[in-house]
Amino acid sequence: MGKGWCLFFLFWPVAAVASCAMAPLVGWSFPYDNAQAASNLGMRIDGLFYLILIITAIVFVGTQAVLVYALWRGVNNREPRASHVHGNHKLELIWSIIPGAILLFLAIYQMNIWADFRIKKYFPEAAVKAPIAEITARQFEWRFRYPAIGKILQQKPQSDDLYSVNELHVPFGKPVMIQLRSDDVQHSFFMPALRIKQDALPGLQIPVWFEANKPGTYDLVCAELCGWGHYKMKAHVIVEPEDEYQTYLKNLTQQQFYDGLGKVAATEIGTESEATEK
Amino acid sequence: MRVGLSHLILLLLVPLISLAGCEQPQVEFVFSKKTNELMPEAAKPVKKALVEQFGNPFALTQFEGLPTDFGDIQGAVKSVEATGKDQPSIRIQVTGLTDAYHKLQGLPLEWTSGKGQGHVSRIKEYYFETGTIVVDKSAEIDPQPGDTFLVECVRLQFGRDLYNRHCMHCHGMSGEGTGPTSRYLNPPPRDFRLGIYKYTSTKPTSKAQVDDLGRTVKEGIAGTYMPSFKLLTDDEVSAIVNYVIWLSIRGETEKKLVDELFLDYSQKTLAERTSEEGGETRKEVEEELKEYMELDFPDTLEFATSSVSEAWEEANLEDALVIPGTPRVADTPESRERGRLLYLSQKTKCASCHGPQGRGNGTATQDFWTNPATNEKYSNRGLHDIWGNQLPPRDLHRGIYRGGRRPIDTYRRLFAGIKGTPMPAFGGSLSDEELWDMVNYVMSLPYAGNR
Repeated sequence: MGKGWCLFFLFWPVAAVASCAMAPLVGWSFPYDNAQAASNLGMRIDGLFYLILIITAIVFVGTQAVLVYALWRGVNNREPRASHVHGNHKLELIWSIIPGAILLFLAIYQMNIWADFRIKKYFPEAAVKAPIAEITARQFEWRFRYPAIGKILQQKPQSDDLYSVNELHVPFGKPVMIQLRSDDVQHSFFMPALRIKQDALPGLQIPVWFEANKPGTYDLVCAELCGWGHYKMKAHVIVEPEDEYQTYLKNLTQQQFYDGLGKVAATEIGTESEATEK
Repeated sequence: MRVGLSHLILLLLVPLISLAGCEQPQVEFVFSKKTNELMPEAAKPVKKALVEQFGNPFALTQFEGLPTDFGDIQGAVKSVEATGKDQPSIRIQVTGLTDAYHKLQGLPLEWTSGKGQGHVSRIKEYYFETGTIVVDKSAEIDPQPGDTFLVECVRLQFGRDLYNRHCMHCHGMSGEGTGPTSRYLNPPPRDFRLGIYKYTSTKPTSKAQVDDLGRTVKEGIAGTYMPSFKLLTDDEVSAIVNYVIWLSIRGETEKKLVDELFLDYSQKTLAERTSEEGGETRKEVEEELKEYMELDFPDTLEFATSSVSEAWEEANLEDALVIPGTPRVADTPESRERGRLLYLSQKTKCASCHGPQGRGNGTATQDFWTNPATNEKYSNRGLHDIWGNQLPPRDLHRGIYRGGRRPIDTYRRLFAGIKGTPMPAFGGSLSDEELWDMVNYVMSLPYAGNR
């Protein structure tokens, strides 16, 4: 039976390493586009993840190997009695200091990424200057408020603000910042492809910035269980070239100030409704 | 360890119970409260007629003359699998359904050639991968290779599946607005069975357009629990709307039939009629009812169905749409001021409900109003909608526009009122310019202090 246990404990590190190695091939990895993050910050976050994965893998495989070795020796050793050991100061120092050092290293190593991601002082300046939209999470949808074309987003709603729901458009090629709010309970703004996740809290306005490294349509989901309809709280974030983004805003303006006459969503020039606004 | 008989039984019960849980529950459309208050002899034919015309959630029925896209698909029999004599069903291999929606179980299948021509079978099982259909054996049908058939209600079934996934838990299986989550919501989910929808682009007397309902599904209703379903495709949204309107038609047909009968044959009237004062015997009432059922009921049913269908068809015509006669009046301070004076005037009486400042606190919210359906006073102060829910007038400062925030949306709310609510239509009494002035004033309110 002893050898059986050896095999048992040998099996787990082997299985863990094997499943990790094949994970990207069978789609068990991060979602979207071959597991690569769709933003540079996301790739740095992934780097942290892989670093921690490697460290824990080495520790896990190492301890399992020692365990199996000890068991194997015990199985083949016919000595009838065990010997008592009353602590080993040196050993204890080693197994306290090494993990402590690793943790300290990780804590210091991730600081830059954390600061770039979370601390407003380190946000890209261009993004902070002109937040592109205010995002209001509510049960169970995402509502967006953009400033009018050429204007700056104000704290309070303005009469020429543009609104949309469950479809956020952002320009490609520059970092963008949004103001995150919640109307009711806690939600979480989660864009898995960009590795962006930020809780939305009622009563707070939280700035979040991101920059996709290629244009495309990305999922935006709620990552905080917010009620029975949590699962349906999803939206699309469409990252598109600047000119397409401007066209979108123009169309949105036309639609929103539509007075029931004339054509909407003609691609060029302002409409009569825009004209009446002035 | 000794394993007793009781242990064995317990062990056997576990898989049995879990198997029992897999069975599809037999869900039926519910009938309205009024239908159930009819005397049983009167309720029975109403229910029968509804089941004949509309079927049940898992056995939909096609009925000619409704403005619903049922979605037929033509198919043909490729081969018939040999079955034993005592087996109750026939398995057939079919062609032509490869592009169809992959869930056809429960749908009616009408034979268009062969022995069973004109006869309708129900699809008991359908295997999309192999193209196998199982139907009940009956004396009327004898499928042979080459026979053609129509599978009916394919589109409706697609809409039903989407509805059941996305809408049913609030709006209920029959569109009656009492799904499992409905009790937690305020405002409560809409009961579709009156066929009345609040946010429409149509004239005061018209129903909602298909596009109006589609927009509500896509954009959601801000300020309520109706979320946006923008990530559904246009095709899915139109299938859902198609199904919702069909549910409405069912509910309205039911209402029309019951309204005909309710005055004379409700359980309450029956008790009155057979009391000492009424002086009739139950037998006499039953005779009278029987006569009505034979002579008039078929016509009533036909009229109910056709009038409801026509109303839905008319709503989608061009002239049902509210289109302003003039473009929006320039949103100037003068225009807003004209709008404000109109708002406060006796002509519109806006302030009596929405309050002089537009805070939704007009004097009407302090009165006891009469329920037009029962002619009794409501037990709560304030305004009520046609569904019997208390309805505070909107606070116009909040910047939340349930029916959309475009100027045309506000214009249409003013022109046609909000259907099913005390919000009146000003379409006839105010000119286009006056309406636009009001729009400009109302839409400026949320931003009064924001600059």
